[in-house]
Amino acid sequence: MSRFFPSISCVYSVSSRVVCGGSRSVPLLLRPLPPGLSVLAAGKKDLIDFPVLNEDELEEQFVRGSGPGGQATNKTSNCVVLKHIPSGTVVKCHQTRSVDINRKRARDIMREKLDVVYKGELSEVIVKKKESELRKQEKRKKANENLERKRLFREALAADSKPGNDTV
Amino acid sequence: MWRISLSAGYRSFGCRIVGPKGLWGSHVVRTCSTPAIPAGRITALQAVDLWKNHFAERGVMEPEHSGLYIIAHLLGAKTIESLEQGKLSEFLSPEKTEQMWKLCSRRLSRMPVQYVIEEWDFRDLTLKMRPPVFIPRPETEELVELVLTDLKMKPRTGVGADAQHTCLEVGCGSGAISLSLLKSLPQLKVTALDQSQDAVDLTGENALRLGLQDRLQVHHLDVMKDAETVLSLCRHISALVSNPPYLFSEDMATLEPEIFRFEDHAALDGGKDGLKVIKQILTLAPQILSNHGRVYLEVDPRHPPLIRRWVEANVQEMRYVETRHDITGRPRFCILRREKSNKDHKLDPGLRN
Repeated sequence: MSRFFPSISCVYSVSSRVVCGGSRSVPLLLRPLPPGLSVLAAGKKDLIDFPVLNEDELEEQFVRGSGPGGQATNKTSNCVVLKHIPSGTVVKCHQTRSVDINRKRARDIMREKLDVVYKGELSEVIVKKKESELRKQEKRKKANENLERKRLFREALAADSKPGNDTV
Repeated sequence: MWRISLSAGYRSFGCRIVGPKGLWGSHVVRTCSTPAIPAGRITALQAVDLWKNHFAERGVMEPEHSGLYIIAHLLGAKTIESLEQGKLSEFLSPEKTEQMWKLCSRRLSRMPVQYVIEEWDFRDLTLKMRPPVFIPRPETEELVELVLTDLKMKPRTGVGADAQHTCLEVGCGSGAISLSLLKSLPQLKVTALDQSQDAVDLTGENALRLGLQDRLQVHHLDVMKDAETVLSLCRHISALVSNPPYLFSEDMATLEPEIFRFEDHAALDGGKDGLKVIKQILTLAPQILSNHGRVYLEVDPRHPPLIRRWVEANVQEMRYVETRHDITGRPRFCILRREKSNKDHKLDPGLRN
């Protein structure tokens, strides 16, 4: 199955692996590069290829109040809102207590969403879903076949031991 | 909604209002400013909702977020998003309810959430927090990124197997910056200073908890008063990083109670123009840094042009490289580089710069 990627980039950059308690397995994360650079990252274990993110096309919002921020403020809410301007896709992330990590996760989620937006039926998320459905169907089919076989076997046994025969 | 119950299930909490004759004795009853624990069992979400109202009544900022972080912490998570769906609708045990009330009462007194739960996250680290040691701000996570980017690209100083980067952090507080750098760069060694013994202790504790103590030295030193000692400790450093006190003295009075009442003012007040400590750091930097070594500072948004002008006029060996902005788009970080002095070339104009 050929896949089409919206833009070409050979830049591959990996930042430190991030571990967050209580979360599902975390993919290798990237820190946002300066505008103009596109980014390609490895996904989870099975290496899903999500579309590249162009920082120029992203608008990020983080609320720190109207004052000077920094040392002058101590607010704990660190929700990051990321908007992909061309498609209008918006991602909100406040999964962790670190803004830096929320920004990275927002970008990961954005890439998953853009994958669906751009590829539709061919997108990774949908393909995986279908594959998983297929596997489930196979399993069910096999399970049913087993049950059927067992049932037939029992019936066969019952037929052999009918009242007409002497069984002592 | 919830009323103070006078039935047998009522428990006074946080302060004494029980007179010798029982709950509402005829003797002096002090007004209890702490909301009572409800008689019946409540769920986590109900507790958060209740406290949201209490906080809002008292003008406590982030009335909902505060309760959410506290309950998540009590239930063993960092945020409620990482808790299982159903957990928030389950009844809290009496112990958990009591803990929730205890912690939220502290928050009611305007204690920052980070001090209430005694921990907070900075990048991928969880750090212990303790008043009055300065709480790391989210902007400062970006400062660490700037330093890491440069250190990763730069070749190590010196020769042979011992060649490695060294960093100096001025004003380490809880150790957020130093420990982040150490975590991300296994070859790095860091010297950290703070004028506060509490900060020195806390940084040490956090280093131990994270297993990074072997590559970190923490010293109780004031860069203003102990300059000589500082210089004797640090030579040929690759990077000097600091989130120094940079607030203008006149702005101290308008700080939120969370900050004003609980955090060390010495970690915040940078003098009349907020540049007192910054100037000292830049004055000492040429003797601390190796050639082309860099200074990374977090500053007030008004500072970058002032720092640039001041350095050009007063510190020949430091070259202003660039200003970077924080996540809110404010000018927040100044990067400067140590350059060999031009004094030797003054006689020959052709060799200038």
